[in-house]
Amino acid sequence: MLKKRIILVLTFLDGVLFRTKKFIPDYRYTKNFIDLWLADEIILLDISKQNRLSKKFLDIVQFFSLNCFLPISVGGGIQSLKDVEKLFRQGADKIVLNSITYKNPSLTSKISKVFGSQSIIQSIDCKKYIKKKYKVIINNNIDTGLEPVKWAKIAIENGCGELLINSIDNDGSLLGYDVELINHIVSNVRVPCLALGGAGSWNHFLELFEKTQISAACTQNIYHFTNESLKSAKEFLLKKKILVRQ
Amino acid sequence: MHLSKLNSVDIIDIGTGNIASLCSAFKKINVPYNLCSEVSDFRGGKIILPGVGAFADFMNKLKRKKIDQYIIQKSKEKISILGVCLGFEILFSTSTEHRLTNGLNLLKGDFDIIKSDLLIPHVGWNHCEFNFKRNELFYDIENSSDFYFTHSYILKNYEKKYVTAFTRYGAKFPSAVNKNNIYGVQFHPEKSQSKGLRILKNFYERC
Repeated sequence: MLKKRIILVLTFLDGVLFRTKKFIPDYRYTKNFIDLWLADEIILLDISKQNRLSKKFLDIVQFFSLNCFLPISVGGGIQSLKDVEKLFRQGADKIVLNSITYKNPSLTSKISKVFGSQSIIQSIDCKKYIKKKYKVIINNNIDTGLEPVKWAKIAIENGCGELLINSIDNDGSLLGYDVELINHIVSNVRVPCLALGGAGSWNHFLELFEKTQISAACTQNIYHFTNESLKSAKEFLLKKKILVRQ
Repeated sequence: MHLSKLNSVDIIDIGTGNIASLCSAFKKINVPYNLCSEVSDFRGGKIILPGVGAFADFMNKLKRKKIDQYIIQKSKEKISILGVCLGFEILFSTSTEHRLTNGLNLLKGDFDIIKSDLLIPHVGWNHCEFNFKRNELFYDIENSSDFYFTHSYILKNYEKKYVTAFTRYGAKFPSAVNKNNIYGVQFHPEKSQSKGLRILKNFYERC
């Protein structure tokens, strides 16, 4: 049986690990802190304000490729096929696209033809504007006016193989995933979806897996990034009959 | 086992995909490797046929560079060959990806898209039920271990006697094969942590 995945999302600001968008950066934490044996996958995102995908960040990608033998997805400011090739050469297995699919969908389609749709994750940042209604935001604050499912379908048509659903409202809140948003998207698409934004405790993983058909729970919470905490998370989920990898 | 007598592994590298990940894995297990993008690059060692991307495109590139002929020739000379993911798929007869395309036909079987009531691609960690005991590629690996998969096509019309592992995604499908010196895995050993690395080591040392 296919296992539910726990994915660690690490964001880097100018080459330094950044905790989560609503927190002040804490430079004590570096990549060396992380023991990833029980993680199922890693996502590395460059959130630098300028000069994204710099050598500093590419070195980080290479560090993970040389040391972690699990799937590594990389994104943050991808603008061209050249950027994608550069990331694969550094050891990325998949790439994470966001605003570029909005600005230039034909590029996403081209990437998919060269590297295959299984190598593209489309990240979708969603914000609630009235009860049960969401819109897609790009570049942190630009409102596309698009409804998330509609946008997801366009991204899939252009060749993305997985969706990373990010709740801007819940991001960094540690109050749990936006189950309503996730259900809305997951039940309307036929590609694997990954949920991000809000994980504060193991119960939030459980709630997500019990209430939605999501394929993976992502967390940016640094306290989840030790092997002991991942181990206890997985033991907890297994006890609750959620099938995860041990 | 006289490791010193073993050649480096020839890894086929024709442009696309996560070759860097495979190289990282071989560095980790201290196996010398050699990247081959032309027939003249090959050193006659065991062959790894990796691959991500699309079947027809990959097959065309192999043909254009005549690497397909090299592989077929070496398979007759009993050089061990390991196909990984798309590299596994092209060991077989055909695939319907984009359009019906012939593979290397070293093994009989056809690839077709996963049944449509399941999420496509099949991505994530899934178990492998090993099919028989004498299986050098899985030496010292516990049965039912999980490996990392990411693919949209699965093998049909295959010869069951060569299947060395099955995996279940909706229905059961072959996730590993072995016929004489030809080996293949649908999953990514280079992305499957210690058990995956063990498969690569087993291929180098035992296959």
